[in-house]
Amino acid sequence: MSDQDTALHRVTLTVNGTSRTLDIEPRTLLVHALRNELSLTGTKIGCDTSQCGACTVLIDGRSFKSCTVLAVQADGTSVTTIEGVGSGRELAAVQEAFKQHHGLQCGYCTPGMVLATVELLNQNANPDEAAIRHGLAGNVCRCTGYSGIVDSVKAAAAAGVGK
Amino acid sequence: MTTRYVGAPVLRVEDPAFLRGRAAFIDDIAPPRCLHAAFLRSPHAHARIVRIDTAAAAALPGVHAVLTGEDFCDELPFTTTIATRPECKTGTRRLLPLDKARHVGDPIAVVVADSRYVAEDALDLIVVEWQLLPVVTDPEAALLAGAPLIHEELGSNDFAHITFTAGDPDGVFARAPRTFSKRFHFGRTHAAPLEGRGVVADWDATTGKATVWTSTQMPHLVRGMLAGQFGMPETSLRVICPAVGGGFGLKVQLFVEEAIVPLLSRRLGRPVKWIEDRSEALGASGHSKEVVMDIDLATDDEGRFLALRGRYVGDGGAYLAHPWTSLIDPLCAASFLPSFYDVQDLAYEVRTPFTNKCPSVAYRGVGWTPGQAAREILIDEAARALDIDPVELRLRNAVPDGIPYRSATGASYDGGSFQGAIRRALELVDYDGLRERQATLRAEGRYLGIGVSPFVEQGGWAARIAAVNGFPGFAYLDSASVSMEPDGTVTVAGGFQSNGQGHETTMAQVVADALQVPFESVRVLQGDTDTVPYATGSYGSRTAVVAGGALLRASGDVRAKLLRLGAHLLEASPDDVELVDGLIRVAGTPSRSVTIKQAAAAAYWGPRPDDLDPALSATRSYDPPETFSNACVVAVVEVDARTGQVAIERLLVVEDCGTIVNPLIVDGQVSGAIAQAVGAVLLEGLPYDEHGQFRAATLADFLFPKTTDLPSVEVDHLETPSPVTEGGFKGMGEGGLIGGPSALVNAIADALVPLGAGASVVRTPLRPCDILELIDAARAAV
Repeated sequence: MSDQDTALHRVTLTVNGTSRTLDIEPRTLLVHALRNELSLTGTKIGCDTSQCGACTVLIDGRSFKSCTVLAVQADGTSVTTIEGVGSGRELAAVQEAFKQHHGLQCGYCTPGMVLATVELLNQNANPDEAAIRHGLAGNVCRCTGYSGIVDSVKAAAAAGVGK
Repeated sequence: MTTRYVGAPVLRVEDPAFLRGRAAFIDDIAPPRCLHAAFLRSPHAHARIVRIDTAAAAALPGVHAVLTGEDFCDELPFTTTIATRPECKTGTRRLLPLDKARHVGDPIAVVVADSRYVAEDALDLIVVEWQLLPVVTDPEAALLAGAPLIHEELGSNDFAHITFTAGDPDGVFARAPRTFSKRFHFGRTHAAPLEGRGVVADWDATTGKATVWTSTQMPHLVRGMLAGQFGMPETSLRVICPAVGGGFGLKVQLFVEEAIVPLLSRRLGRPVKWIEDRSEALGASGHSKEVVMDIDLATDDEGRFLALRGRYVGDGGAYLAHPWTSLIDPLCAASFLPSFYDVQDLAYEVRTPFTNKCPSVAYRGVGWTPGQAAREILIDEAARALDIDPVELRLRNAVPDGIPYRSATGASYDGGSFQGAIRRALELVDYDGLRERQATLRAEGRYLGIGVSPFVEQGGWAARIAAVNGFPGFAYLDSASVSMEPDGTVTVAGGFQSNGQGHETTMAQVVADALQVPFESVRVLQGDTDTVPYATGSYGSRTAVVAGGALLRASGDVRAKLLRLGAHLLEASPDDVELVDGLIRVAGTPSRSVTIKQAAAAAYWGPRPDDLDPALSATRSYDPPETFSNACVVAVVEVDARTGQVAIERLLVVEDCGTIVNPLIVDGQVSGAIAQAVGAVLLEGLPYDEHGQFRAATLADFLFPKTTDLPSVEVDHLETPSPVTEGGFKGMGEGGLIGGPSALVNAIADALVPLGAGASVVRTPLRPCDILELIDAARAAV
């Protein structure tokens, strides 16, 4: 590693509505910046290569796999993590739908799945089953076989999450 | 007693923490001053370590230690065997090898640094001089004379050679009107929980006590094995299991990394964390279910099964899974050779050689999965040869419903719905209609396939079920406690360890009913050996049976005390009071009652009987008798003969796990296991090339089933409570992956029959390229 590689860079981004400034190595992945620098450990890492979607966050409202985004690339953006979904003591409607329809088992894919669902419903407030399955094809769940997740997304849509 | 929660689709109490991102998994454990470890892993399948130069790595700023096998040579090796099976050898494994690497991914050195980034930088600076050795990756080749030896000290690669005979199978085969044979090679699979393995350790040199956080299914067994490894009392070692991001049997092993990381902490005097990355998970944790099988079936002309023979060669990989060994696949497969078919003459042979591949470990359904696939595809082929419908053939040979039956391999079935589940499944899929549609489509050049796979599933792995599976002579101690607090709320604690099954919910349901208290007033503790009673963990479809049983017993003890306390408050005889809907009341005089809360308070503060030990707490254990669930899976697929693509039209499961604790959770378990079956058959390959190079190191190579790969699984329930277990629970976590693959394999073979390729299905996975190859070969042969 040269000195240039490890020299710290200043990154300023809005995370869950709060402006945060970080001085980090340029190679730092966004997911590591969120988890290690900001202690937002709700975002998970499942594969390191953007196949599984456990690390999904919203950047300026669109879903991204934060394991393959450098934190410096997110400079100036607004990032939403699972900690930014729902408020106070209440589950957001999308989270409540997952609870009501057994949309999770071990819970490891869940933060990414919830954020992918938020984006899916923002793009299409009333998706049919095929659209739901297509929209979530980038997020892997090893536990549920997806039936409960598909039911959860349908219920979230019915609850008006994307509207 | 009124049942209010058992059997109801109670929503999970676990969910809000996961949904908010507040649950702590292993990588979320971050003690102050924690260092980070990374392992250097062998790039070669079999190679002698000539020299390791760690100087440059050690000199990198931020690096605290670079250690190799030499640094651990005073530590005990893992010693693994099945002591009660004289046919087994004893395998030993050093924490890091001194002599050679035995598979791609074998850990060779470890770096500890300020961050994982720096630790991985340092890995690149370690120089290893290798001398390549001959490689063996085929389990049958590994058994041949002259094969490269994986462990020279054992003299051969043959870890175990076990044979079993009941009745006179050879005589029956010699006389039988019809005989059928099938060779089937079930491919390597991977449990691949979305969260890999991980360990955090903090060894306090001043007290001599250590805390190990690990992502496991068996905290107490980890504690016991590590305490022995480190020569310390079990009371000096605390194992904490945080939230587990899926286990599926993979995390029922003790891995060398779990022993190494605490030693790093002891050496450096600081906490150390190691989190597996996906490449390590895929290539160096554990593979499963690869068994080469030759099955023979003898029948009469009407298709009555007369005898079975099976030869099972498991691929053990480079090291023995600790503590279960590599027998967990082929021996479990062989032990269920007859399934629930009434066959009393049979024989099997089991071998499980070492190869230069990732070690073979447990994964949901262990060897029952490949064993089921080989037997059931043979039955379908026999049905075609006999011109009998394959389902009818199974029904002719199934043990009758609801009666105890002892299998030729020694399993005592406690009465199931073997035939009932098949019939129900046929009705739900409209089997006759499906066959008609299949014929219509075939006439149009479309290839619909139907696979029906009924199965029996062991429930509640403990002493007796282990013995039935060929692991005799071990007792199991699984305990759990129930304590009523002064305000009438309840604390449940046990060494079961949820890894997604929702035990905080299901175990609370069981206790809430037993004590007639609100579900919301019961909390469940698990995952910390300092605070919960001893148990061997959650695996083998056991928690409902084993922990549920222990909790029913413990609840019974507490309930008896509550009745005495209530009777004392009511000035009635304990024989005259009953516990109903949260009240202790005088039978026949409902107006005379006290609440459970009042009885609980009386235990702590009085008034109470002088001769009553008022501790409202009980710890009980349960080592259950044999119990067996059963189910029937139906897969309907369409094969595209031009592309080899398999489109799954329907996946239906009729399952019977006895008393259902929570149908929501049972459905989720079934559906998830079926998805894993889809992965095992259609998607997931773990190929090694002829040099033993591993070809599936990322999730771009090893394909998880995605939302678009399968339809929603249809689940239907029959409920035949076990007459022999506490609560009638039978256990059901694995079944979808026992019966699912053979349903899919048989459906694909059925689809390929008109193409002349039905009988050429001889292995998994069956990816589009594999199916096209079968179709092309069949066309070429015409």
